Amino acid sequence: MNRQNFLGHLALALALIALAALAGQVRRWQHASYDAHVVEQQQPSTAVLTPRDTASAAEVQVRFRPGTSVDMMRNIARRFDDRVEDEIEAVDGLAFIADEDGKSAEEVAAEYRSLAGLVEYAEPVGRINLDQMEINHEHPDDPMFNEQWSLDNHGQNGGKTQADISAVRAWAKTTGSSKVVVAVIDSGVDYTHQDLMNNIWVRPPDIDEYTDDELGTIDDTYGFNAVNDNGDPMDQNGHGTHCAGIIGAEGGNALGIAGVNWKVEIMPLRFIDANGSGTTKDAIKAINYVIDRKRAGVNVRIISASWGSTMYSKALEDVIREAGKEGILFIAASGNSSADADKSPHYPASYDLPNVISVAALTRQDQLAGFSNYGAKSVHIAAPGAEILSTWLGGEFREASGTSMATPEVAGVAALVLSVDPDLSMKELRARLLESVDKLDALSGKVSSGGRINAARAVGAD
Amino acid sequence: MALSKEDAVKRARADLARRLGVSETEIEEAAVEQADFPDMALGAPVQDEMSGQMITTGWRIRLRAGGREAEYRANRDQLRLYNYQGSNYRL
Repeated sequence: MNRQNFLGHLALALALIALAALAGQVRRWQHASYDAHVVEQQQPSTAVLTPRDTASAAEVQVRFRPGTSVDMMRNIARRFDDRVEDEIEAVDGLAFIADEDGKSAEEVAAEYRSLAGLVEYAEPVGRINLDQMEINHEHPDDPMFNEQWSLDNHGQNGGKTQADISAVRAWAKTTGSSKVVVAVIDSGVDYTHQDLMNNIWVRPPDIDEYTDDELGTIDDTYGFNAVNDNGDPMDQNGHGTHCAGIIGAEGGNALGIAGVNWKVEIMPLRFIDANGSGTTKDAIKAINYVIDRKRAGVNVRIISASWGSTMYSKALEDVIREAGKEGILFIAASGNSSADADKSPHYPASYDLPNVISVAALTRQDQLAGFSNYGAKSVHIAAPGAEILSTWLGGEFREASGTSMATPEVAGVAALVLSVDPDLSMKELRARLLESVDKLDALSGKVSSGGRINAARAVGAD
Repeated sequence: MALSKEDAVKRARADLARRLGVSETEIEEAAVEQADFPDMALGAPVQDEMSGQMITTGWRIRLRAGGREAEYRANRDQLRLYNYQGSNYRL
């Protein structure tokens, strides 16, 4: 070999090495890309397989009888105008078959199934549909979660599958935020309950204590007690603690239940006494407190009001209107009199105000609960409200029924929405909740939206 | 202190006797039965009262005297007279 030939061969060799290195790098890039894709897809624990896009060639996975040679597979495939795309060596007889004559995956699979003597099974190749995944972390480890049909109804205890608020799907996007404050105006809240204590609002140090011209200055570290005019909203009844748990019992803490929000800030307010009743005057004082705190800088955007009466009060209406002017959504129980609220109003739910949402109750079979009020105009939405498990006094948990229980389901979803869209106006938030419902025949003509609240759609997870 | 069904019936009899101006022995128990009431005011709210909208289990106590009937509603926390001459009373 002369010098010129040697240099020529050297150049060729270097070019080949460079080409091989480039090819290797490309494979590594492809591999890395594939790995990233796989990691992304492996995150879910369960996935729904759906047929591939009809725009691409149909693919079928066929398990031939063990011992079938590749040549035999190819012959069979050729007979159906298909080709063997890949044989899976690890599983005797398994191969991917690609259609080449425009048939659908189901049609191709049917062709192979017809060869029962040669084929064990044939099924369309599925692709993982991210939209339909249920990710591991969406199912909390709270031991009583399986009893919470309102969040995940899979037919337990005679329920109807998916007759729930689609919480699990919503949790793929958000499990709530401690930046969102929900005022629970009720019998107070047991703020020492171990499934609530981490989600109880505590007045931030930069917010001054509550000062009222008549009541003076009150240390409102944990909220406000309008019955006793002090800063201790400890629940002596249980009703408010139950409602608070529905909104925001801590999720994923291996304890008790999960709230609609795993994390949120619940502002406890007490105006209902130990027997379960309160006065309009104390309700107004409590709402006035919430407005004051909002003006002081607390991000309280929602009031959950699981109470009411058939007695109209202009003063109560006026203070709720003022809350609306502060951007506070007022979510209220439609009442439990099995009545048409369009004809027999129930207040505060029936106030015709732009910041009020009136809530009816559903059973675990997706039917309007027999006790629930309704109203094609004045009741706006429905939510699970029968046999709802939540927190109770003394660190306990119990089931309760009523539009009282449906109301915090909606308040909870409102808080979830704000956790992902904090800048929504009150008007936008209200519209989001009402426009994202699951329409139900049972609610046609019964509530103005015609549907059950859907958390997943409301937060944009669907 | 928690109210038992027997306590509730006893207090209801005494209340109706007083209202009617008759002896308690003249009060007849028409029916005493367990019932689910629509709210925490046992479906018998008084003026200016707001109540939790939770189904509440208690007792419906129907008493009779002198041809007149009255309905009391109770649970372990409270006793109420329902729709007596057009009004509810929290006792």
